[in-house]
Amino acid sequence: MATSQPPLRFTSHKNLPYRLVLATLTGRTVHISGIRSSSPTNPGLAPHEISFLRLLEAVTNGSQMEISYTGTILVYKPGLITGSSAGTGASSSSGVIRHELPAGCSRGLSYFLVPLCLLAPFSKAPMKVLFTGPGVITSATPTGDMSVDTVRTAILPLYNQFGIWNNIELRVLRRSNPGPNGKGGGGEVQLVFGHQVRLPKTLHLMNPGRIKRIRGVAYSVGVSGSNNARMIETARGILNPLVKDTYVFSDVSSAPLIPAPERNNPSAKKKIGLGFGLSLVAESSTGCLFSADVTSPPSGGQPPEDIGKNCAYQLLEAISKGGCVAPAAAPTMLSLMTMGSEDVGRLQVGRDVIADENMIRLARDLNKFGVPGWGLRDAGGDNEHGDVIISVVGRGIGNVGRKVA
Amino acid sequence: MIGKRKRDTSVVSRSTTVDEEEAPPTTTDASAHDVFRRFFEAQFLPVELPGGPVSRNTEDAEGEHDKEESEESDSGSEWGGISEPEDEGNKVEVVEHTGLPTKADDVVDKKARKAFMSGKVPSFSLDTTTKTNTASKDKDEGAEEETDAENLKNDLALQRLLKESHLLESASELAPTGKNRHKALDLRMQSLGSKTSIYQQNMPSSIRRGIKSKATQKEDKRRREARENGIILERPAPKSKSNSGQRMRGVGGPSVGKFTGGTLNLSKRDVAALQGPSRPAKGKSKGRR
Repeated sequence: MATSQPPLRFTSHKNLPYRLVLATLTGRTVHISGIRSSSPTNPGLAPHEISFLRLLEAVTNGSQMEISYTGTILVYKPGLITGSSAGTGASSSSGVIRHELPAGCSRGLSYFLVPLCLLAPFSKAPMKVLFTGPGVITSATPTGDMSVDTVRTAILPLYNQFGIWNNIELRVLRRSNPGPNGKGGGGEVQLVFGHQVRLPKTLHLMNPGRIKRIRGVAYSVGVSGSNNARMIETARGILNPLVKDTYVFSDVSSAPLIPAPERNNPSAKKKIGLGFGLSLVAESSTGCLFSADVTSPPSGGQPPEDIGKNCAYQLLEAISKGGCVAPAAAPTMLSLMTMGSEDVGRLQVGRDVIADENMIRLARDLNKFGVPGWGLRDAGGDNEHGDVIISVVGRGIGNVGRKVA
Repeated sequence: MIGKRKRDTSVVSRSTTVDEEEAPPTTTDASAHDVFRRFFEAQFLPVELPGGPVSRNTEDAEGEHDKEESEESDSGSEWGGISEPEDEGNKVEVVEHTGLPTKADDVVDKKARKAFMSGKVPSFSLDTTTKTNTASKDKDEGAEEETDAENLKNDLALQRLLKESHLLESASELAPTGKNRHKALDLRMQSLGSKTSIYQQNMPSSIRRGIKSKATQKEDKRRREARENGIILERPAPKSKSNSGQRMRGVGGPSVGKFTGGTLNLSKRDVAALQGPSRPAKGKSKGRR
């Protein structure tokens, strides 16, 4: 289908996962050049990007990717999104794709999860992926990824608004913070995305509502559980006067062990991914979700009180930006709206959310993929924050695998 | 307020009502504090706060002063000078009373935790329903019997539906009519203990065969027409093999032939089977050797 069309040309490594996801969803070949070509030490694709390409190859059928010798040029020709149907990439019996991340991976698991969840509703079979290996970081990372808990509690519920809600699970089997120098971890996470649709519903979300409850998860991996209590205490001290209904759950787990063979002890293992962190989610009366994530730095040296305080303030900041969607969830929402039926969906976002570098890049990329541009106008009513309403026209292509009923 | 929350365990629910009861404002309302204190002292021994009372109502303070004065008078009058700086140093004394969370709260917490921390995507709407459910249960206990009856009725309807659903595939309504109603009634009779079905009655074999052949004709016609129109139908049901094969014979009967009217009748086939092959295969076997 894409053979007649010339490849779309992009440059730089930025926004790579979304570009690849959009290429897969629209079936267009992409040619991405200049991937860190100016870096003298680490040119080309990074380990996590290679890993993401491998993941794409596992969940699709017939994808072709060519990477230049230096890794600075990537040509990706997408195939069909098959999910984890038996006989493709999945291990034959259980139908679960096992994806191992390398030890050098410095991005959190949400770097893989969020784009994968964008693909999953349009796959042919349910998407079941098990992330393992010495590079799985379930917590938030200094590189700006959110934690797996936030993905589960703040991103996945948004799919409900598009009519995608059934049989979606994200199980954290083992937790891990980033390892030394922010690289590697030993977590284990299973994603089950069992609701495939032909087209997501058209969304009209224009009432942010008021925050009615705050939930959160405090996790400490391989360190004392009292860190959790201290984070929760500080965060609640800030949030409780504002929202009465605040629960923060605490999860204490031991540090994951990863194999670290030595010369005289080939079966040696080492602990990795120690630390703690906090993930907070605020829900408004109309079902809008705002999230915040702070984790202890891999170098340590930050008391849990600071983490709790930062996280609470970060949550308040996300809420103060206004609109119906948090900055972290905006790309997901807008991409799903773009993939919807040929109808105009509307979404109210804060002015600061839309004025973000990543959002503008996403808008440009979407434009390049042939999606009609967004319509922007100021929100009506008592719009004290200066919110903007984005009108998105769906492409109406949706799930190619589901076209034949 | 914040100080009090500090001591709570990591997971604490704060419903509004409980909160108001548990957390009396410590700093602003000292009189409430005193009420609690008096109540406590009435129950147990008087409390000896290390720094003395935070603040006092005039009445209570007087009583205390009287006591102190009486004590002071015992020891000597020059002590009045020392007691003054002591009072100054004890100006601010914050006492935190913390209570352990109640057990009911723990249960709710566990449920909420389970709902939130499982692998499922949390449905925020279900989080706090546990409390409201218990509350509503007390309220409409009277209505429970009604719902019980209703449930029983629904249950019967469901059972019937499950049993008879195969009759309903073409019918639009749940209550069967016409032929389907007869069939449903028959099923119900059988389930209540009737020996025979009205559809399993004895009839002359010619009529039965006629019914069967008509049914097969109809089915053939349906399939032929479907094939001509390019409609793919379901696969034909595999024919039951219950009739084929040997008939079950009674015990003690003749193993060959048919015993009627006091005589054993042997058919030609039976005789042939008894006699064996007419020509013993002598020549053949010889020839082979």
